[in-house]
Amino acid sequence: MESRRLSLVLLVWLMAYSPVARAAEPSTVLSGAAIYRNQCAECHGPKGEGVEGEYDEPLYGDRTVAKLAKLIHKTMPEDEPELCVDADAERVARYIHGAFYSEEARARNRPARVELARLTAGQFEQSVASLVAGFRTNSSAVGEARGLSADYYDDRRPNRKKRRIERVDPEIRFQFGEKSPDPEKIEAEAFAIQWRGALLVETTGEYEFCVRTENGFNLYVNENSDKATIDGWVSSGELREHRTSLKLLGGHAYPIRLEYFKYKEKSASIELRWTPPGGVESVIPLSSLAPVRVAPVMVVTTPFPPDDRSMGYERGTAVSKAWHESTTAAAVEVADHVATHLEDLAGGDPRKDAEAYREAARAFSRRLVERAFRRPLSEEERGFYVDDRFEGGIKPEIAVKRVVILALTSPRFLYPELLGSGGDAHGVVSRLALGLRDTLPTEALRRVAQEGRLRDGDRDQVRSLAREMLDHPQTRLKLRGFFDHWLHLDDEHDLAKDPDLYPNFDRRTMADFRRSLNLFIDDIVWSEASDYRELLLADHLYLNGRLADFLGHGTFDDGRFRKVSFDPRARAGVLTHPYLLARFAYHRSTSPIHRGVFVTRNVLGRSLKPPPEAVQFEESRFDPDLTMREKVTEMTKAESCMSCHSMINPLGFSLEHFDAVGRFRFAEKEREIDAASEFQTHGGTAIAIRGARDVARHAATSVMAQRGFIQHLFEHLIKQPVNAYGPETLDQLHKAFVSQDYHIQNLVVEIVTLAALHQYQPTELRDHEHEKAES
Amino acid sequence: MNTRRLNRRNFVRDLGLSAASLPFFAGLPSLRAGAGSSLAPGCRKQRLVIMISPNGTVPPAFWPDEEGTDFKLKTILQPLEAHRDQMLILHGLANKVRGDGDSHMRGMSCLLTGKELFPGNIQGGSHTPAGWCSGISIDQELKNFFQSREETRTRFGSLEFGVGVPDRADPWTRMVYAGPNKPVGAIDDPYQMFEKLYGQVKDKEHLGSVLDDLQTDLRKLRNLVSPEDRQLLKDHADFVRDMEMELKAADEQKLHHAAPELEPGIADSNDNIPEISRMQIDLMVNSFANDMARVATLQYTNSVGQARMRWLGINEGHHGLSHEPDENEDAQEKLIKINTWFAQQLNHLVTKLAETPEPGADGSMLDHTTIVWTNELGKGNSHTLNNIPFVLLGNGMGFNTGRSLKYDQVPHNRLWLAIAQAARHELETFGNPKFCQGGALDLVT
Repeated sequence: MESRRLSLVLLVWLMAYSPVARAAEPSTVLSGAAIYRNQCAECHGPKGEGVEGEYDEPLYGDRTVAKLAKLIHKTMPEDEPELCVDADAERVARYIHGAFYSEEARARNRPARVELARLTAGQFEQSVASLVAGFRTNSSAVGEARGLSADYYDDRRPNRKKRRIERVDPEIRFQFGEKSPDPEKIEAEAFAIQWRGALLVETTGEYEFCVRTENGFNLYVNENSDKATIDGWVSSGELREHRTSLKLLGGHAYPIRLEYFKYKEKSASIELRWTPPGGVESVIPLSSLAPVRVAPVMVVTTPFPPDDRSMGYERGTAVSKAWHESTTAAAVEVADHVATHLEDLAGGDPRKDAEAYREAARAFSRRLVERAFRRPLSEEERGFYVDDRFEGGIKPEIAVKRVVILALTSPRFLYPELLGSGGDAHGVVSRLALGLRDTLPTEALRRVAQEGRLRDGDRDQVRSLAREMLDHPQTRLKLRGFFDHWLHLDDEHDLAKDPDLYPNFDRRTMADFRRSLNLFIDDIVWSEASDYRELLLADHLYLNGRLADFLGHGTFDDGRFRKVSFDPRARAGVLTHPYLLARFAYHRSTSPIHRGVFVTRNVLGRSLKPPPEAVQFEESRFDPDLTMREKVTEMTKAESCMSCHSMINPLGFSLEHFDAVGRFRFAEKEREIDAASEFQTHGGTAIAIRGARDVARHAATSVMAQRGFIQHLFEHLIKQPVNAYGPETLDQLHKAFVSQDYHIQNLVVEIVTLAALHQYQPTELRDHEHEKAES
Repeated sequence: MNTRRLNRRNFVRDLGLSAASLPFFAGLPSLRAGAGSSLAPGCRKQRLVIMISPNGTVPPAFWPDEEGTDFKLKTILQPLEAHRDQMLILHGLANKVRGDGDSHMRGMSCLLTGKELFPGNIQGGSHTPAGWCSGISIDQELKNFFQSREETRTRFGSLEFGVGVPDRADPWTRMVYAGPNKPVGAIDDPYQMFEKLYGQVKDKEHLGSVLDDLQTDLRKLRNLVSPEDRQLLKDHADFVRDMEMELKAADEQKLHHAAPELEPGIADSNDNIPEISRMQIDLMVNSFANDMARVATLQYTNSVGQARMRWLGINEGHHGLSHEPDENEDAQEKLIKINTWFAQQLNHLVTKLAETPEPGADGSMLDHTTIVWTNELGKGNSHTLNNIPFVLLGNGMGFNTGRSLKYDQVPHNRLWLAIAQAARHELETFGNPKFCQGGALDLVT
């Protein structure tokens, strides 16, 4: 079982990596290159691009090397074909073919470009949510306060005259037993409580809600009508758990309301619990509740096919039938929602003044299309997308439905860059919103573009707009996604270990470690210093009572997470976070190879080729007295393995002080852990590694590691390859990163600013282009 | 009452799009239905409709004096005169369920279930508080039976229609139970019901109306992008064209009966109850014609319902009136009017069914439908659960109709048993077995 798991994981692992720095290998064709240089380049150009006045056609085609060689043998050089024959002809043919002649070579030489891309599934969902939310203005800011507003009534109905207590409750977990919530003010036999506020949701996914009570209640989540999400009003006095699941989008606040009453049952209690996606069930915590009133969020429930991730980040550079059908079904779903809530969204009352209502619906439609398309509409566009739908006295609800379906299936909505190439103010703000939040620009941002307040090409102004957008749940969500990706936390992975060997490593502990890692990252990223190096060098972990106990690091009894410092020799940043250590380990033991590959590729930014052959790690084949280090050394000792494992193994061994669940250990099989090795840096210097901290120190100062981090971040935010923005882009970003003390937030701002102003055209020039295009 | 609300989950689910890879509108059951009823030979199509109006009847104006085939309809039932041959009037059935809850609660929530309520936190006018019912209702029992067999399976199985049903869910407003503690609410908004039945068809129309323009849009925009990117938009345009063709193909599979045109803008309010009643009945008959369900319930308001039938010149609430003593002639007059109005609604349903030929079979749809009109009380001011009104119409269950029968307070569970068995669902007992002694009522011989 274990070995199967290994080989599968390892194979998948290796396939998941695409070579990052693929160097051309000219060594075998050197002489062919020399011949070309001497005898051909004069007429064909150094790269086969052609020379004006000589042979001006570029050299490319679909001949095989053999055919090409034959042709050269016979005809080239033009005036002295005998100069290049036989083996020479063959060598030069091979060189030409590989360097620029073949389709493959041309694809390789083609500079990376910003490809036209559609919204990813996540971007579609977020864009639609903000599109509809833009018309719901009755939301208050979430603010700092946490908990839910609570009204307590001395009556089984929420009778205002009998309201006895108004307060904010930190969570809903009450065991009243046979007693009243407050014996001085409220009778125990019958009472009612109403809680209301906002539910703060960090990540996107299915949330299961659970109300546990023996009494009556109605729960409303993301619902402003009288339709309860869970209707448990009638009860028979037995303790029951009522459950339902809802899809929610991360980075939003949702209205939540719980109405509860007790009437003559023997006892009273209530708990409001949830299971976030991938998490474990718990009472909804204080940090996820706010005592404010917010409007519902339009959550598209249509499932989408997964987006392409072959380049290591989600991107929308391909379309499929399934995608098109999902997009269309989602557009219909949104149209239904909008038509159903038209009075709320557009204003007006069809019963009072039908004509005014119709005009309100039309005006609403125009605004909606403009927001969806991220720019104002021309007269003609307005006619096409809006007014035509209202033709022929069609009912406003139906017209609006059709407007929404057309707008949301239109390429103008689906491909944000379609009209933004060459960038104008609208393009700039739209790129900022997508880059930082995967969504449409906010009303405020839109107005900056609309009112011409974006000064042509003013980089600092764009930077400060970006900076203002940082502190927001949706930006945090996007950054969280990046770290999940960078640290390989975003794939489904079963962290479970052998329960006999690691008895307390249960689902709750795993979930707590995940939370601990998130807290660690958020704390550093969103601190003032926002220092990348701290991610690698910090000597603290976030622990709650359970985790402290698990790691044997003292005990404290509450569930609250707090920062706990460790001996810096023992722990170093994310590298030694138990969640990652357990993530890169076997069911029953550590895995220096998995850990080493992870550090090599993700942390140090170095590339690894797939192994020449897939080798299974079979525990049973080894002498049981060997340590893991000895087994791995034995297994990878062949020369063909060592070309990569000379790099992988020392990094993996450096983490051998941590067992398969991330606990520190001094010994394995009663032998002291040996974490020391010599490690060749990218520059070719050998450095001594004694443990995790040495690796962390190296990673924190390695230019390659930093560039790898920047590239990952860029591609996650922008969803385009970084070199598509110019060969010097990565250098520029790196320089800025170093000069700003490795400030992660500033790096984010730099990246989105750079992308937002990419190929920006000053207004004058653009108008000129526009006229040209029109004529 | 319900405001119209989005049912997006249903939309996606009913669309059959969960796999996100199915052809967009393939496999729409509503489109298949009616194209040819999949009846096994010798197996008649059978439908059950249960209609309820609340607060008891006015016995002297309701029950025929005679027994047998030769009977005279009293005032309330007179609107149904034309259908007396297809009628079966059952006097002397009693809802014998006791235990927690007041008579209204038990009258309502035990009517179709024949089983006790759980103890609970809902206080009635008297008696002990109660919770939901502890059993399944007969309509859901039959629906499950029909849905479990290929030859009687339909898209929805059952449809729960309501007229003026309040939004709150409690034992007075719920009579349909999918199981113990599992009340099923009625849809009392015809637009919402329409959406459920035909939403996909309508969405298709909207979609169809814009696809052509979307193609134009794509064509125009294709010229604005670089040649390398053009392919992406070309692929996109191909998918749009595919969808257009699929929609056209789906269009050719017509519904057996076209979706009814609902008069728009009828608000869900007391004064619109007559319009809503008519719309719901039309939708029900239409859904049957397209074989979307074989079981339906039609619930007027709720137990203790306070409809104010101003269209009959009655300004008082129905429940309030029903408490008036027998000596209050004005109140009795009004109650007779109210109950006669319900009989008129029933007549509308029966007539429509009788006038519509059964798709793919002989006879009318009424020949394949049995409607049970009932009430949660025998009489409003006494709150009796004896002599519960039961009037059966239609020949769906193959009963010997055209009769007025009189029993001596026989538990009504035995009627439900008779209906189950007539539908070839061989139940030994239904609800509380204690009320099934003597077995199914014999309504055939």
